Amino acid sequence: MNNIGALRNKSRSFYIFIGILLAFIALGQFNWFRYLTYGPGDSGSSDVVPWGIYISGLAYFIGLSAGATIVGLIHHGFERHDYEPIAIRSIILGLVCVIGATQCVLVDLGVPFRGLKVPLLLHNFTSLFLVSSTSYYGFMAVLGGELYFSIKVLRGNASPRDKKMAKWFGILAVPYALWIVHAFTGSIFGVVKAREMWNTPMLPVHFVISAIASGFALAIMVAVITSKVEKRELLSKETYNHMGKILCFFVLLTVFLDFFDYFILRYSAKVEAMETWHIITTRYIVTFTLNIGGLVIAFIMLLFKKWRTGNGLLVIGAIVQVAIISYRIDLVSIGQLAPLFPGMGEIYYIPTFSEITIILGIFALVILLYTILSIILPVEKTFEKPAYTVRKFGQGFQKGRSSFTEPEHTSETFQNGFHNKK
Amino acid sequence: MKKLDRREFVKLASVAGAGTLMPDPLKVFADAVDQLFGKPRQGQIEYVPKPVANAKFGMVIDLGKCIGCRRCMYACKLENNVPDTISPPYIMVFETEAATGAIGHYSSPEMMGKGSTLFYTKLRKDKWYMPVQCNHCDDAPCVQVCPTGASYKDPDGLVIIDYDKCIGCRYCMTACPYGARRFNWWEPHVPKDRINPLVPLRRHGVVEKCTFCVHRTRRGKFTRCVEVCPNKARTFGNFNDPDSEVRKLVRNERNFRLKEVLNTGPRIWYLTKPKEKHMQWYKPLPPPTNIRGIRQ
Repeated sequence: MNNIGALRNKSRSFYIFIGILLAFIALGQFNWFRYLTYGPGDSGSSDVVPWGIYISGLAYFIGLSAGATIVGLIHHGFERHDYEPIAIRSIILGLVCVIGATQCVLVDLGVPFRGLKVPLLLHNFTSLFLVSSTSYYGFMAVLGGELYFSIKVLRGNASPRDKKMAKWFGILAVPYALWIVHAFTGSIFGVVKAREMWNTPMLPVHFVISAIASGFALAIMVAVITSKVEKRELLSKETYNHMGKILCFFVLLTVFLDFFDYFILRYSAKVEAMETWHIITTRYIVTFTLNIGGLVIAFIMLLFKKWRTGNGLLVIGAIVQVAIISYRIDLVSIGQLAPLFPGMGEIYYIPTFSEITIILGIFALVILLYTILSIILPVEKTFEKPAYTVRKFGQGFQKGRSSFTEPEHTSETFQNGFHNKK
Repeated sequence: MKKLDRREFVKLASVAGAGTLMPDPLKVFADAVDQLFGKPRQGQIEYVPKPVANAKFGMVIDLGKCIGCRRCMYACKLENNVPDTISPPYIMVFETEAATGAIGHYSSPEMMGKGSTLFYTKLRKDKWYMPVQCNHCDDAPCVQVCPTGASYKDPDGLVIIDYDKCIGCRYCMTACPYGARRFNWWEPHVPKDRINPLVPLRRHGVVEKCTFCVHRTRRGKFTRCVEVCPNKARTFGNFNDPDSEVRKLVRNERNFRLKEVLNTGPRIWYLTKPKEKHMQWYKPLPPPTNIRGIRQ
């Protein structure tokens, strides 16, 4: 059943899982309401480090949504139909990640409800914050359109025009997402000439590439986790191998950009650059190591075919997530930690408990939304057991298998005299 | 009255402590309605008078005369209703090393070296003192990046914040190369007897900064920091007036502007004259304390 009723009759562990997510959301909501009542003073941010983990969260979530577009491109654009089981799932994933990103912006704002007036009632179009945050609404609309037509196609009641629309939404989502959404989000930091670590034309490119790496890794992880939860193979070994190769390429590019970003920062040896480098190699050595080390390890693992399997990719995906989260923390925090004037003292940023609960609440919200949407929406071709029996030549009568075969295909194969193996 | 024993006191204190930190949904709801549908607060007082026609305001700070007494910093705080939760106030005064060049001991743009500090407690005649505040840049990055247009540049050179438009995203704070902007992390409380009625009170979650005392300068007065400077190190004036003091100073003396390489067009000029020999040396007021995010 692909509706709300599908949420009923689930196992006890499912409800416990949902309960834990709701508890995290409630705790985050509680602390956010405290912010709204008394001001966001109970956070680690300050006048010298105005942006904290919410903006790191924004950068991370918006990056993750790139996974949806890449899977959509491979599925629709390059017509790899073996990606079909995760095509709609990754659109939902992209959608909930954009929602997560908007939540990160909302909790970061000092006057959040006034922020809802942007861009219709309050606007300044030279601001990249306005451009990128407005583009998130557009991105949600594009992903929503892609989702709508893809579901229509999946249900089998799509006209040829609908099929075309699903394809074109899938393809057009790529330039829109990469150019408008991700590159402009990277540009939010890239245009800030006051901060040495941010002000580089490499940043939008770096942002897009790392977004694809993390987003695609997440799409793979979701496929593997779904397979494990539903106790069936969602994708074939060949598809996992193909995904591993694509991920390998983007991880390599991310390492490359990371390396040259830091290399040029250090080589330029400007006062602020040296200050930044000092912070990277002392106080932030852990996140720096996790970032570079994680990506290098992931790349090396991906070179071996034995790691390009479901379980292997789950491990690699987790490593890539840790590496990219570390990069997002480094990008936002270290970028602000170098003092604007010598003599300001040692600048630090340590997130508080409330801040961490709020960001965990957003993570829980994203996971909850994905879980519910992937249950109530039709995400792949029906694989319910047919009520009738299928007779195969030479095998006598046999009960219909719980395969991904559609009922209409089954009758066709019956006529052809062999079972359609997928 | 019954005396509280220690255990009861701790219990009560913890309940009270938790109570003060508890969210107030009714207040949040009322605030949300106000944020969404509230009209700009307009009282009888015009907080931001109209820009002065044909004027281009700016300031000149003579580093040879600045003794680092921090009187400007505290006067500014009182004048602009800056709450104690904002630290440092709009003006930061740095103690810096001097550069020694062909003409001897002088101040220079490069002097902000390793010996600089914000937290000096004694004045030293061999050091230089450098006040830093909002530079009211001609191409202000904060105005460029503000998503709502709350920060704007007026034709008379002043960069102003509309507190009824600010959404508190703090992009302007990250974009400002001078660290001149302050955020209201808590609800700002200014004692009633300290409130200047000409300056609006802010709410939590909005950004504020030096306005070049817009409520004074647009009514024909000098900024408060200029008024209180004991050695007249600061000069404020109209750069469009060829006979103004500021124009003469900038024309005739060696000067620099902070981080000029960023091309922001700051409207504060620093004179690099040698140190004045006959200056009044006052005891400095205390350095800023409890600065969020800074370990001294």
